[in-house]
Amino acid sequence: MTVAVPERHGEVTSAPNEGDHMVKNITIFTTNTCGYCQMVKKYLGAKGMTYEEVNLDEHPHRQAEALQMSGAMTVPVTVVTKTDDSQEIIVGYNLAKLAPAVA
Amino acid sequence: MSDEPKTPQHDVIVVGAGPAALTAAIYTTREDIDTLLFERAVIGGLAAATDKIDNYPGFPDGVEGLVLSDQLRKQAERFGAVIELGEVTAIRDEGELKRLETTSGDMLARAVLIATGSDYKKIGVPGEQDFYARGVHYCATCDGAFYRDKRLVVVGGGNSAFQETIFLTRFASHIDLLVRSTVRASDVLQAELQEFVKAGKVTIHLATTTDEIVGENNAVTKVVGTHDGQKVEFPTDGVFVFVGLMPNSQFVKDTLDLDTIGFIKTDQSLQTSLPGVFAAGDIRSGATMQIASAAGEGATVALKLREYLEGRSHPPQN
Repeated sequence: MTVAVPERHGEVTSAPNEGDHMVKNITIFTTNTCGYCQMVKKYLGAKGMTYEEVNLDEHPHRQAEALQMSGAMTVPVTVVTKTDDSQEIIVGYNLAKLAPAVA
Repeated sequence: MSDEPKTPQHDVIVVGAGPAALTAAIYTTREDIDTLLFERAVIGGLAAATDKIDNYPGFPDGVEGLVLSDQLRKQAERFGAVIELGEVTAIRDEGELKRLETTSGDMLARAVLIATGSDYKKIGVPGEQDFYARGVHYCATCDGAFYRDKRLVVVGGGNSAFQETIFLTRFASHIDLLVRSTVRASDVLQAELQEFVKAGKVTIHLATTTDEIVGENNAVTKVVGTHDGQKVEFPTDGVFVFVGLMPNSQFVKDTLDLDTIGFIKTDQSLQTSLPGVFAAGDIRSGATMQIASAAGEGATVALKLREYLEGRSHPPQN
């Protein structure tokens, strides 16, 4: 997967989805101490969206999975899977990317 | 002519939601001053990204940055403060009202508080941008977990560099701390870090510049620096940079008077060059960059905002 490196924290992402598919599920890779992770959860919670959280402090063996998906050694990594099984991967707390991905 | 649809209006709009902003909001909302906060990143600001805060009054054993931020948020929200997640991109003077251009559309305020704080500076050396988030980092609490049992370099000699180095010792096998000139961290932090130096977990390199971050196959492999005129190399898997702060004032650079670095100038009332627009906390020129000071300025500016609002009548609604 080709990814672009952002200037600020966040924003390495795959290409936007074509079409208008609904969100099937959301997975967030987090750590205990990450403030940006709290913000992603807060945003999704405020929109009433459910998500699976993978806490890398509790499940360090899944770190490679987060790194492989995002291409970045950072959290949060939010994986939004659509009903057509396409995925958008948002790195960091980036509302400009996160909001349309879960709309 | 009135806007269509009607532009939302508030007594006070606070740009930012760090300690200064949240403290100000606690004060204004307790006095029933309608207050909206805009936060583009993390509620709590840099404080929320700090592992442990040991010098904020009232916490004899220290407090995690995330915990303090959450307590401040809850306290402000208890009195009616509303925090909107979004970004203010410009402020325009319309006399008795200020128009804020935001990612949620335009908003009007009778008074504005800018408390956008600062972000960590970059070093500006080759390789830094190339390996951003893939070996070069500015947030230990976010990215430290990726360096379990790996070697790290931390760059900086102030409180943040020392505090975050201490945090990173829970993951890294060894840390080289590169200090460009002399140590500026507090004696307490120096003493705490010294325990890790004695244990062989951290090595401090004084008078050592960071000149280049080198890597291959999309991964950092070493930092090249200079010490005593000689080239020195530090093999590493990652680099964390804490070399000072830069103000988040880009969005008002053409609107307000800034100092040479970009911090916002204020008068004794914490009012900026534009009447009705105030600044507090780390964004303010002359700020001491302490969380306790930011909270204090938040309280002060709230009282000044009230004085300002009481001195003016509500303009006609648009």
